[in-house]
Amino acid sequence: MTKNVLIVGGGTGGTIAANLLSYKLREEIRRGEVRIQLIEQSKRHFYQPAYLLIPFGLSEVSEAVKSERELLSESVELITERATRINVEDRFVETEKGKYTYDYLIIATGSVPDPSQVQGLSEGAHHFYDLDSSLKLEESLAKFNGGKIVVGVAGVPYKCPPAPLEFTFLVEDYFRRRHMRNKVEIEYLYPLPRVFPIESVADFAYNIMLERGIKANLLFNIESVDPGKKEIISMEGDSTKYDLAVIIPPHRGADVIIKSGIGDKGGWIPTDRYTLNMKNYDDVYVIGDATDLPISKAGSTADFEASVVSSRIADSIRGIKPRAVYDGRVMCFLLSKIGEGSLLVFDYENPSKPVKPNFFCYWYKMAYNRLYWNITARALLPGFGV
Amino acid sequence: MRLSEIKPNKIVDARGSFCPGPLMELIKAIKEAEVGEIVSVYSTDSGSKRDIPLWVQKAGHELLGVFEREGFTEFVVKKKR
Repeated sequence: MTKNVLIVGGGTGGTIAANLLSYKLREEIRRGEVRIQLIEQSKRHFYQPAYLLIPFGLSEVSEAVKSERELLSESVELITERATRINVEDRFVETEKGKYTYDYLIIATGSVPDPSQVQGLSEGAHHFYDLDSSLKLEESLAKFNGGKIVVGVAGVPYKCPPAPLEFTFLVEDYFRRRHMRNKVEIEYLYPLPRVFPIESVADFAYNIMLERGIKANLLFNIESVDPGKKEIISMEGDSTKYDLAVIIPPHRGADVIIKSGIGDKGGWIPTDRYTLNMKNYDDVYVIGDATDLPISKAGSTADFEASVVSSRIADSIRGIKPRAVYDGRVMCFLLSKIGEGSLLVFDYENPSKPVKPNFFCYWYKMAYNRLYWNITARALLPGFGV
Repeated sequence: MRLSEIKPNKIVDARGSFCPGPLMELIKAIKEAEVGEIVSVYSTDSGSKRDIPLWVQKAGHELLGVFEREGFTEFVVKKKR
């Protein structure tokens, strides 16, 4: 009988998992013993790291969006429908048009930036967590004549932990290059008592802020934004004024997870940190932002997890006890200005030892924006060899 | 009530988390909790011993206890407002 592997979500994790499975199980698929289906409502695939760069003219729409079908291996069946319910008891996924059963399910439904969770955020602040918002921010920065720019995070978890820090550094560089730096004040708000969760990174990032005249306002957990007064208020009882605010919205799990009742309060799915199984379901795997794991929500996380999960499923299908386990590995670039960046790699056991910002990391990051489409998303080098 | 008898409403297992890290996980759990509820967070990150008490004090919550467990530290926090 044909084994059905069903993947919900065609972002980074889902796409890589589908491609890896199609390579690993090539023979089984050819013999009709395995079928791989991917449900994704959008025909387009988005490379989200480009959204950080677009406001500064360092990337563009053509680098951020391509066809999902063209990225997928031919043997993956793409179902362009919206998943509406996941039933892990009876092993099926419903869409607006049909019902799909599975033997193995991979949930890769990602996360949703949700400004509505914070009062005044949608009206009062910009962000760069979707393509339209990123383009709008590009326009506002281009028109900005001077004043105070505040960058912050309105809730945890959020995708790509270094992004607020990178945005702060890039916006400083952007106005310096435009000979406007003396007209722009920059303030960085962060929920923790330091500028980044990882201490070694926080130390060097804070030094960069001191050198470049960026103010850090710490232990500032944003509670609300007052668009009329142009003021941001914190849970700790502080406030700060702004002329232009760039605030990363809180994230939640996907609608289909919340509606299916398989997530926690935030819509994140309880997941085993090593096997990546949904807790209590050994035929269901969860990858990328959709998990409740206390690790970075980032493309590299999804990539490494897709590699583990596709190996485990291939083993199971071949009657072998699944061997691959996830070690919590994450890899993030951290741009400190145009022409300079660092690279952070860490896992459950080992904190990051960041390299000093240098040109090579910057170049690699910019090259990676293209390599993603040709190598990573096509799963030609799973986990990028790390 | 003795500290050893405290029953948290939610346990956050942030062992192995360097980024976003245990304090971020605690902030998220406290936001979701009701006033008066107790959240316990497990951490293997040495920075937590400094970070967590600092934030709890600044945010006006109560640190009920810090316990050394086998291979990790447990912080027990009560949401006060």
